[in-house]
Amino acid sequence: MELLLYDAFNGLIVGMFYALMALGLSMILTLNSVVNMAHGGFLILGAYLAFTLEPYLGFWGALVAGPVIAMVFGLIVERVLIRPIYKREDPVYSLLLTFGLALIMQDVARTIWGPAGLPFAIPDALNSPLSSSFFFLTGYRAVVVAIAFFAVVGLMLVMRYTRIGIRIRAGIRDLETVSGLGVNIYVLRAVNFGAGCLLAGLAGVLAAGQLGLTPTMGDSLIMPSFVAIIVGGVGSFLGSVLGGLLIGVAAGVMTTYYPAASDAVIYGIMALVLIVRPRGLMGQEGMFE
Amino acid sequence: MNSRYVRLGVLWLLLLTVPWWLPLVGGYTQLGTRVLVYALAAMGLNLLLGFTGGLSFGHAAYYGLGAYGVGLTLKYLAPSTPLALVVGTLVGGVAATLLGPTLMRRRGVYFAMITLAFGQLFYFIVVRWNNVTGGEDGLTGFVRQPLHFGHHVLPLHDVAFYYLVLFCFALATAIMGILLRSPLGHTWVAIRENRRRAQFLGIPVERYVWASFAISGFVTALAGGLNAMLNNFTSPLDLYWVLSGDFVIIAVLGGMRSFWGPLVGAIIYLYAQDYLSSLTDNWQSFIGLIFILVVLLFPRGMLGMLRMKARSA
Amino acid sequence: MSLLRLQNISRSFGSLRALEDVSLEMPAGELRAVIGPNGAGKTTLFNMVTGLFPPSSGTVWFADRAINALSAERRTRLGIVRTFQITEIFPDLTVFENLRIGVETAARSNALPWISRGRRAALERRVDELLAVTGLAEKSERVVSELAHGDQRVVEVAIALSLEPKLLMLDEPTAGMGDEETDNMVSLIRRLHDKQRLSILFIEHDMDVVFGIAQRITVLDQGRVLAEGTPQEVGADRRVRAAYLGEAA
Repeated sequence: MELLLYDAFNGLIVGMFYALMALGLSMILTLNSVVNMAHGGFLILGAYLAFTLEPYLGFWGALVAGPVIAMVFGLIVERVLIRPIYKREDPVYSLLLTFGLALIMQDVARTIWGPAGLPFAIPDALNSPLSSSFFFLTGYRAVVVAIAFFAVVGLMLVMRYTRIGIRIRAGIRDLETVSGLGVNIYVLRAVNFGAGCLLAGLAGVLAAGQLGLTPTMGDSLIMPSFVAIIVGGVGSFLGSVLGGLLIGVAAGVMTTYYPAASDAVIYGIMALVLIVRPRGLMGQEGMFE
Repeated sequence: MNSRYVRLGVLWLLLLTVPWWLPLVGGYTQLGTRVLVYALAAMGLNLLLGFTGGLSFGHAAYYGLGAYGVGLTLKYLAPSTPLALVVGTLVGGVAATLLGPTLMRRRGVYFAMITLAFGQLFYFIVVRWNNVTGGEDGLTGFVRQPLHFGHHVLPLHDVAFYYLVLFCFALATAIMGILLRSPLGHTWVAIRENRRRAQFLGIPVERYVWASFAISGFVTALAGGLNAMLNNFTSPLDLYWVLSGDFVIIAVLGGMRSFWGPLVGAIIYLYAQDYLSSLTDNWQSFIGLIFILVVLLFPRGMLGMLRMKARSA
Repeated sequence: MSLLRLQNISRSFGSLRALEDVSLEMPAGELRAVIGPNGAGKTTLFNMVTGLFPPSSGTVWFADRAINALSAERRTRLGIVRTFQITEIFPDLTVFENLRIGVETAARSNALPWISRGRRAALERRVDELLAVTGLAEKSERVVSELAHGDQRVVEVAIALSLEPKLLMLDEPTAGMGDEETDNMVSLIRRLHDKQRLSILFIEHDMDVVFGIAQRITVLDQGRVLAEGTPQEVGADRRVRAAYLGEAA
């Protein structure tokens, strides 16, 4: 029983990473209409930069710096590479572009920091368990849950109540009309893309503390994030978050009973959802139909 | 009309004589075989991508399933090359056919995402089912078998195998060519050009996309099977999403709207990969750069650009 | 027997009443115009007749058959074919190829992976006929995305024609056209009605066109039928003048 709880909780933590990634991916998917295959690249960018800066800024400083630099890089990429292809109707181009970018980012990370895993130091204070009966509930994990939670809630609040958030949501529904109303959609798309990359970078730093740093961690986290979006439903940010948590926990629980199938179960859930409720658990009808 | 036959004639002449001239330009027969395999895979994908407008970023799944189908048949079922190819093609093709309905009402990037995710599903099945598939280390212990024609036995060393692959390539491209020139092919292109209009004409678009998806799955699976026989080895990498991306870039690089575009793309891409990996450890970055440059500067691909030049002339 | 009969059609979108108790009867072989100010419900009417959505109440009759329950594809096969306000064609294909899709659809050949040379020739002959009727023969090998706007709209009508319509519905056929292109389209519509005896229902804003060729006119205003009759009757109708023509004049 305790093993199940342990695995489930681990799964929840990983699910938080999926949720953060899926949220960022979903934002970029719906407003910029781009499948950001390089999202994993932004994840490792945030993580590796945090690693490099940690000796100078400390853990908390690196936790802020990593995602912010990922965001800045995202803004540059959006401006230079993605903006020229918005007017292309065929989505194959944005896919190939971000795919190529992902290859480059992974290779560069591997070249600079080496292919081996690197440990990411977390403050000793966070290492010890918070409870004697639930030894796996370390301070760090509590922090991960808290930060992820606040990030998601914060984003939701921004989306709901700030001017730019409302414009982004309107733009997702009908970018043309929003543009016609005089809103600068170039800025809108840039901000949205940057925010997505910020989330990816954040997921990267948090994951690094939990799982260690490797150049391939972006790969292994991006695929389930796609599944999270499909399961949660395209067009629903909350769905993406919940989808991520769901598949994380499901995979975690699966490790207790049948470890070999723990990653396949993610795709199994996806297949089930696609057959039973194609628009996803919280998805809206008519998206991409 | 005439020039088309001339060009086709030249093409097939070149393909038929590869074992003679390729070594003269610094290549070797096996490289030619690899190009044909990748070209076939990309042409299969392109039936869906370039001609029907379906963006599949998970076609490596069917390629890999074809490969494992061949490997497992040769290893456990019977030492027969033709049987292995049939089984491999069927496994990949049927998988694509079964997946079709889940994708049908989606378009564009969402369609692509689902194909990507399903590709990974098959990847993980193959990786985890390691007592059958050999897991991450790949499937070994099989070898392509000689062909039996009555009393004659034809062992499939390099050159003979090249011709077997060329034969399969010819068969598959002939079928695809016929399909694309038929009303079915015209309908596919109409769907690509303006899906809504096609719907308003009363065409049940989803069924046609499904058919295109299924057939492209069979062709790509055949390519995967041939690849397994080329290397007498296959691994989960043959199902990985990076390979799916390779097929797409090969089709786009050569020209998605051209029938032979993927062949041109395969030649360029494999040559570039070969050359770059001998030049630098960071060849992956350069490959990524190729992706970006093709998208930004050569979206219509090599043959597409030639066609535009011809049109404006 | 009327070809198209709308019986007390109403259609609401939430609280918006787009069509209110609209009745209309159109015999076969007629050239009828539907006019009205913006927002009068003309396109809603078209969308509903072609099957995009059902009426909230009332019945649509086509050749004495109630078609409320039929899908858009089914209605197209029955012979109700329309064109659109925004030109919807197959951009990267030639004129010939555009028409060929329609011809193959009408011949129920879309799904054939192979056809005999004889059949192929027959289909191509049909395309040539359409090219001749619509005056596009010289441009048959041109890619439609490179054609002038007016020609593209003719291609669209030609595609609709290729489906062998019993009722051809044209949504603002002369939209965005200059004088010469408008004349071309008008003479095409006349030809189709006079020579081919097609029943044509069209939405138009250009009053010269409407009063120049329509046999009967139905005037919509705010979802209701304001008036209906011959061009002379409608032109003289005071309500029409006040609500619509008066504004323009």
